[in-house]
Amino acid sequence: MMDKIILGQYADTGSVIHRLDPRTKLLSILAIMISFLLLKTFAGYIATTVLVAGLILTAKLPVVMVFRGLKPILFILSFTFLYHVLLTDGTPLWPGFFLKVTLEGIKNGSFIVWRMILLILLASVLTLTTKPLDLAKGLEKLLKPLSRLGVPVEAFALMIVLAIRFIPTIIQELDRIMLARKARGYDTTYTKGYKKIVAYTSILIPLFVTTIQRAEQLTLAIDARAYGDGRGRTSYKELNFAQVDYVAGGLTLAFVSLILYL
Amino acid sequence: MVYALKDVSVSMNGREVLQSLSCTLQEGKWISVIGHNGAGKSTFAKLIKGLIPSFSGEYTYNQQPLPRDSKGNMRVVPQIGYVFQNPEQQIFETTVYKELAFAQKIKKGHTGDTKAEIESVMHQMGLSSDLLDASPYQLSGGQKRRVAIASVLIADPELLILDEPTAGLDPLSRIALLEEIRAWQRTKNRTVIFISHQMEDVAEYSDEVMIFNRGRLLVQMSANDLFLQHTAFMEQAGLPLPEPVQLLKLIEELSGRIIEPVSCREEDIMQQVRSVWQARGIQHDG
Amino acid sequence: MLVFDQVNYHYRREHPIIQDVSFEVQEGEFVAIVGGNGSGKSTLAKLINGLLLPRKGQVRLNQLNTLQHVDLKKIREQVGLVFQNPEDQFITTTVLDEVVFGLENLRIPREEMMPRVEGALQAVRMEDYLDAMPHQLSGGEKQRVAIAAILAMRPSILVFDEATSMLDPQERKDILEVMRTLHQSGLTIIHITHHMDEILSADRVLLLSNGSIRFDGTPSALFNSVSLTDQLVPPFAVRLHQTLGLDVPLGSDWKETITNLWSMH
Repeated sequence: MMDKIILGQYADTGSVIHRLDPRTKLLSILAIMISFLLLKTFAGYIATTVLVAGLILTAKLPVVMVFRGLKPILFILSFTFLYHVLLTDGTPLWPGFFLKVTLEGIKNGSFIVWRMILLILLASVLTLTTKPLDLAKGLEKLLKPLSRLGVPVEAFALMIVLAIRFIPTIIQELDRIMLARKARGYDTTYTKGYKKIVAYTSILIPLFVTTIQRAEQLTLAIDARAYGDGRGRTSYKELNFAQVDYVAGGLTLAFVSLILYL
Repeated sequence: MVYALKDVSVSMNGREVLQSLSCTLQEGKWISVIGHNGAGKSTFAKLIKGLIPSFSGEYTYNQQPLPRDSKGNMRVVPQIGYVFQNPEQQIFETTVYKELAFAQKIKKGHTGDTKAEIESVMHQMGLSSDLLDASPYQLSGGQKRRVAIASVLIADPELLILDEPTAGLDPLSRIALLEEIRAWQRTKNRTVIFISHQMEDVAEYSDEVMIFNRGRLLVQMSANDLFLQHTAFMEQAGLPLPEPVQLLKLIEELSGRIIEPVSCREEDIMQQVRSVWQARGIQHDG
Repeated sequence: MLVFDQVNYHYRREHPIIQDVSFEVQEGEFVAIVGGNGSGKSTLAKLINGLLLPRKGQVRLNQLNTLQHVDLKKIREQVGLVFQNPEDQFITTTVLDEVVFGLENLRIPREEMMPRVEGALQAVRMEDYLDAMPHQLSGGEKQRVAIAAILAMRPSILVFDEATSMLDPQERKDILEVMRTLHQSGLTIIHITHHMDEILSADRVLLLSNGSIRFDGTPSALFNSVSLTDQLVPPFAVRLHQTLGLDVPLGSDWKETITNLWSMH
């Protein structure tokens, strides 16, 4: 489980898409997502579906894994679909049936759900082919110009790294505290009402105390290694645009224009 | 009271972390549990306390199976006390008094005089009763550790599990704490399960020693037998002998004779070594 | 090279933590600092590289002074600090990133980084763990990575702030071995500990009690000093020497001493 948090959903297949600079991926996917909002025609939908399928194949991602990303939003998808089916004006399909189902509704609902699925799949391509830390690094680089305006971009990036690093540690800590609680005769599975609230404070207080101590200790560790304010640090992981990034960028532009044209 | 395990195995994430473990824990004994990290020591301790819901094999208390919940899962054993590593990190009440009263508060049908019980347990752990109204967070590291241990002792457990209770303490506090726990154990005739990496402490305090190695109980025997006769088990588990025992071996090797000390405790070994040393007539030339 | 000059420190005025502490550490020395829990040892460590600043007095490193803000970055470059808890000083998500972190802060050019990282990891025998993540490492391994992360910054002084106290005996031995090797290669070492067996091989010991220095001298002088017996639990080697009526040992290997003495008679 700890691996899962640090690596996110990263699935290493070593494809061309994995090798792209995270900035290229971030910007391209953002551009394509925006173009989705402009989809109007059926041809446009077909074109984008082909593109998303193409991306999944190029990234050599296991299809099952990609579609698993849809599971958490299945409810929202069905709700959206029903909402449109039932509340769109038009000619009822079955007059006399107590619910007013319209052809327009089914059409509307289908297109909207289709678009949502494509968006989710596209986002999954990004997270499945890029490690969270590389994404953070890409974001840091993209936001870099803002540091001239006094925005602490480096500190922001360090914050993301620390979060990725320490979430598993804090979860472990929580497990430890709950176990010790249980050992002291405090099994929350059997308590109710007011006592349950007391039980939670008895877990949260030690968790806060240790987390704050941990934060202090970390601050010292960061300072002791001469972090300063993070300005002007060099970087081991230099991000470099390669030939393939320009090609990917070009293709993205071409695709977005196509969508606008359709 | 006797706790007994028969052929118990525990699996976690598809890996067997304890394999066919059988042992009995007798009343009034100080039992030390040693072995490398990941050898199964902590799993054993959690199992005894009832913190591992399901396992194969039998766990009995005075020959009776221990109670399980409606789903057949193992329940926490209330008469066992468990002091986790760095127990002071678990403190959550705002005063020492409240922290210590906690166990009594949640105990159903508790009728005793909580205040008197608290004062007695604080005295036992070498804490002044002036500290009752202090915030636990203002105490020193050693005092916090004592409060945390006292909060377990107040429930008067029959069997007390201590997972590296002296880690991070300075030597004076370490000795004081171990002496207090021993005094408690002896006067009340309680069982102590002492998980430790410090072989010197193990040799000094234990009646029995259990060695865990790769998820198995390698051996359970008296400390004297293990450290004075059957040291091969220590070698097998890759554990160092206590320093006094190492000294004994060295002197035996140098003198070419077998020395039989009264026990594996440092004082007894030192006495023997001193007489051998003096018999050889070694003068120290300053 | 390191000078504490009448240093005082407190969080609240009523509770002084460090009181009028003065001492000097020479280049290449191995100095142990001992004292009970709460004696001020850790505060002292943080004063050395300016994580805390003296309320009175000065801490100087060569020509630098921790009270001068402009000197701080240089001081932290020269003084490496290894903390007690291996878990709380692993900042990033892999061993490589961890060792690189300090180098990035020092603005080391990228081409220079990898050789430094490899050298530092070799010094602590962790070169095979470049891509390992913190939760895959044991406490001792994390502590060795912490040392490597500091070595890569090429410090002249290493301060170990109870860095062995959360480790098991074998891991403790490994770290001590690393410390000795580093000392032999010319680094100045300040080792703060409450394990008395670890100080026998030090050049010098400072005993801290309630924020003041009670003793400053060699390990054998420390254990021979009668006035301090209530403050100290001598290590096994010293107890053995006392039992046999020998001089307190200068080295840490009592087995060698005993064997030599035995064969001499």
